[in-house]
Amino acid sequence: MKISLNWLRDFVDCQLPASDLETLLRRAGLEVAAILERGVAIDKVVVAEILESVQHPNADRLSVCKVNDGSEHPRQIVCGAKNYKVGDKIPLALPGAVLPGDFKIKPGKLRGVESEGMMCSAKELRLAEDAQGLLILPPESVAGTPLTEIFPTETILELEITPNRADWLSHLGVAREIAVFTGYPVKNPSPQLPAHVEQASRLLSDPADKVTFYTLRKISGVKVGPSPQWLIDRLAAVGLRSINNVVDITNYVLFELGQPLHAFDAAKISGDIRVRAAAEGENFHALDGKEYKLPAGSLVIADNNGPVALAGVMGGEGSGVTESTTDILLESAFFEPSRVRRASRSLGLFSDSSYRFERGVDPEGVATASARAVELILQLAGGTASEILEVAGELPPRAKISLRHDRVRSVLGLEISDAEIDAALVRVGLINSGGGEWEIPGYRREILREADLIEEVARVVGIEKIPSRAEGLFAGSSDADLAYDFAMDLRRRLAGMGFHEGRTSTLVSNADAADFGASVALKNPFGDDQSQLRNSLLPGLFAAVVRNLDQGAKSIPLFEVGRVFTPAGEFPRLALVVTGDRFSVDWRGGTTRSWDVFDLLGAVRDLGAVETNPLPSPPSPFGAAAEVFLHGKKIGLLGQLHPGVTRQLGANAPVLAAEFDLATWRTLVSMDRTTSPLAKFPGSARDIAFTAPLSLPYGEVRATIESLKEPLLESIGLFDLFTDPKGEKIPADKKSLAVSLSFRSPERTLTADEVNAATDRIKAALRTRSGIEFRE
Amino acid sequence: MEQQVDSLRAEALAQIASATDASSLEAARLKYLGKSGAITALSEGMRNVPKEERPKFGKILNDLRAAVTGALEESQKRLLDAADSAAFASLDLTLPGTFPAPGTLHPLTQLMDRAVRCFRRMGFAIADGPDIETEWHCFDALNTPPDHPARNEQDTFYLPDGRLLRSHTSSVQIRVMENTPPPVRIIAPGSAYRRDEVDATHLAQFTQMEGLYVAERVSLADLKGTLEFFFRELFGTGTEIQFRPHFFPFTEPSYEIDIRAAALGGEWMELAGCGMVDPAVFEEICKKRGDRAYDPEKVSGFAFGFGLERLAMNLSRIPDIRMLVENDLRFLKQF
Repeated sequence: MKISLNWLRDFVDCQLPASDLETLLRRAGLEVAAILERGVAIDKVVVAEILESVQHPNADRLSVCKVNDGSEHPRQIVCGAKNYKVGDKIPLALPGAVLPGDFKIKPGKLRGVESEGMMCSAKELRLAEDAQGLLILPPESVAGTPLTEIFPTETILELEITPNRADWLSHLGVAREIAVFTGYPVKNPSPQLPAHVEQASRLLSDPADKVTFYTLRKISGVKVGPSPQWLIDRLAAVGLRSINNVVDITNYVLFELGQPLHAFDAAKISGDIRVRAAAEGENFHALDGKEYKLPAGSLVIADNNGPVALAGVMGGEGSGVTESTTDILLESAFFEPSRVRRASRSLGLFSDSSYRFERGVDPEGVATASARAVELILQLAGGTASEILEVAGELPPRAKISLRHDRVRSVLGLEISDAEIDAALVRVGLINSGGGEWEIPGYRREILREADLIEEVARVVGIEKIPSRAEGLFAGSSDADLAYDFAMDLRRRLAGMGFHEGRTSTLVSNADAADFGASVALKNPFGDDQSQLRNSLLPGLFAAVVRNLDQGAKSIPLFEVGRVFTPAGEFPRLALVVTGDRFSVDWRGGTTRSWDVFDLLGAVRDLGAVETNPLPSPPSPFGAAAEVFLHGKKIGLLGQLHPGVTRQLGANAPVLAAEFDLATWRTLVSMDRTTSPLAKFPGSARDIAFTAPLSLPYGEVRATIESLKEPLLESIGLFDLFTDPKGEKIPADKKSLAVSLSFRSPERTLTADEVNAATDRIKAALRTRSGIEFRE
Repeated sequence: MEQQVDSLRAEALAQIASATDASSLEAARLKYLGKSGAITALSEGMRNVPKEERPKFGKILNDLRAAVTGALEESQKRLLDAADSAAFASLDLTLPGTFPAPGTLHPLTQLMDRAVRCFRRMGFAIADGPDIETEWHCFDALNTPPDHPARNEQDTFYLPDGRLLRSHTSSVQIRVMENTPPPVRIIAPGSAYRRDEVDATHLAQFTQMEGLYVAERVSLADLKGTLEFFFRELFGTGTEIQFRPHFFPFTEPSYEIDIRAAALGGEWMELAGCGMVDPAVFEEICKKRGDRAYDPEKVSGFAFGFGLERLAMNLSRIPDIRMLVENDLRFLKQF
């Protein structure tokens, strides 16, 4: 919404500069998005009259003009424009002028012909953003007049208006707000026009419509034509193009008073005008040239032949004012905001009118706006106005709201006297009806409740007057606190291990969701690549792997903590994806190798989860995978991606991945730690080495040993594993294992005999497993 | 005899003194004090010394042994001292360190955690709610009119069943009040979604921190004090904070908060929305709960919310919001 400072000053005599107004309006809650300057502030640009124009002797596209710049001697100018005729008045930049863009005008030769200045377009003078050809000035312009006089500079405020304040959508409304915060009086518009009001209930045909307040006045014998420059300028200041004097006046009043108006060509209205509900699917030819099927319940203005306007939204084709119009029916009305909004939304039709009607115009300003427009029409287009203003419907009554002064003090936390509270409300234009009741004028119809009145007090008093209080309650941990702490703890430990935390989008493609079971789809995705809610964190991290490989990263250890979504609900997850070099090589040399699945197993073990159950047929995209358990409960999956998937990602090292359900995991761990007593007696170790079938998992070896429940056996540690695919040292279908058995008693030092006996029992048990052979 | 002892002593002491390392010193020790060393041999000769001369001869030998042993110890210490003082001569402490770098936490996690820690010091607990919300929790209960533009399918993601991806974390306010009687004092960090085209300043998914405090006699002064304290804790005591009247359907009065801090680049930035919980929200909660626990005549409260992405961008001078979700290690390793 653009507001011209000059225009604003018609309503409030406030000479504050724009920057001060910006501060003041911000304090009121009205944001100034930009302060723009219009007009010409360039010296040595004057009005010139074109005296003659001939073809340039050396250039087809150029002309040589003689112009009168107000001095005694005609000036010769070479020009490339074509849109002028001899006798036109145009802006002429004289030598010495500096146009925007630091473009200095100097006398010189163009293709061999002397040129003593430059004739300008509106764009070159920054009067328009885009303009072809010379700016043709009104014929009454006097040669030699500086352009700064014709286009005086003015300041425009670009405002961002919150949806609750419809009253700010006009110069009058903004002027009122400035008056509240400066104390300058508002100069309310008071058009001089006889107002013989005649009730014309026939205008409203829907008996259920208790809201519409509709007025119509006829003006006869007008002459539709171009608008005067001042009107064109003011509309241009708020970003509107001039159409003709009558249409311009309705737009002018819209921006001045906030009241949308519509002018019908009386000759094109057949029979009486009626405001009625549209029939379902009724056709409407709008003035944008399109035909709309109206939704049931929308309000139309109709004549005998059908709708001539969609109430509050747009006029109809063929019933509007044209060059040949002589008699006008001028509509000024109040329509139910939600009805306008629904019609506008359902048809996708938006206009300056609907923008205001759907937020609510001031019903009490309807007649004033009509009078203001008539006054201007008579002044600029002539004709005679009917003495009668036809009025249908009732002005909605003013709301009365009670306010408790104690409530104001309590909500604001401010010591403020009753008198100060009342003064603040009077200042915003509310009327004290006594007994704590406040009457709300029509332009503040959004004030409906005590809370709205308190807000007004806060606004006028200013937040800087409100003290800052620093007090509060104790807060016990919620379950969300515990979940947060658990996740942060895992994050910090993973970062300590060298993993980097990533964050990937919740929205993924169909293909990304396909591998991980059922997913939740969006109804209105922005694109196919964001059509599903992720049901796993892994695809996002895979994409991160691809990106980092592309960037030449050597080692990619990533994790993410985030939510996944399935038809069953939302679940917190942790995922890890790693590939590339396991170690960094420094200046001392050393070697690295690729991250492998045992590194990831180790990391997961360090987070507290040690039990795994290999899956004979791992799910896609894994080539090998194991379920991970904690205290016997499954918490997730870990493995190495299938070689095909690995190739697709562009990785030439194994890609390892794991994903865990944090909700389950969290139920299995405690923040509390218990300790084991430190050993008092020395332990004793025995190493055993044996060969086993390649297919026998180590987990079974371990389980066999553990099943004996040797009371003195403290721990089992694998310290060597050897395979020989070529079968040179051991057969290719065998593996050699070396395991260290640690024995200890908490009560005494062990004897060699008892340790040997226990070791022998273990060996005997292992020998019973087919294929295990001891090297002895 | 004494002459023989004297020359042996001189010879031994000279050899010990000239030892340049541990092995030559050990060689000297063996030569004189070893099993077949010269001094050992002399001692063995004691058997042939006449009885009356033995005490004198014994003393001479003991003196010799003591002198040689002393010289050996002294040389050993000399050599050790020399070795100790040479131990670091070639150590170049300007060489780069070689401990492997640890991993990093995402910048949004770090910022969120700073905020969480600060609010916890102020007695706020964390609350949570689903990303997939009902329209009631996201809009109706928050006093948002049925035809409000935010409900538009142009702006908000919907599911085929009518639920939606929450367009703000304010829905957690509703979840909390629905399930917990007052007083409540919570913050809720989480994701929110808007149907925006992704570019340098927009993501379809972003991170917000929501806050709510409802109790008896909570006032605008509490809101102001709380948020001023928070932003100064986070960005320094020199942080300037402005509350600008604004409009949100679910708070009244409502404010936007602009702050300026050196840590955020020294420019004013629009950061947060806040306000006093609108009585209409309390009424809707009462209706849903079926009690008057949140009777707006009995309790009042404030709510606030702010986005973390833009804050992180200003704080860490991140030029493009997409860098926060691209997971480029060159970026992540800087945090």
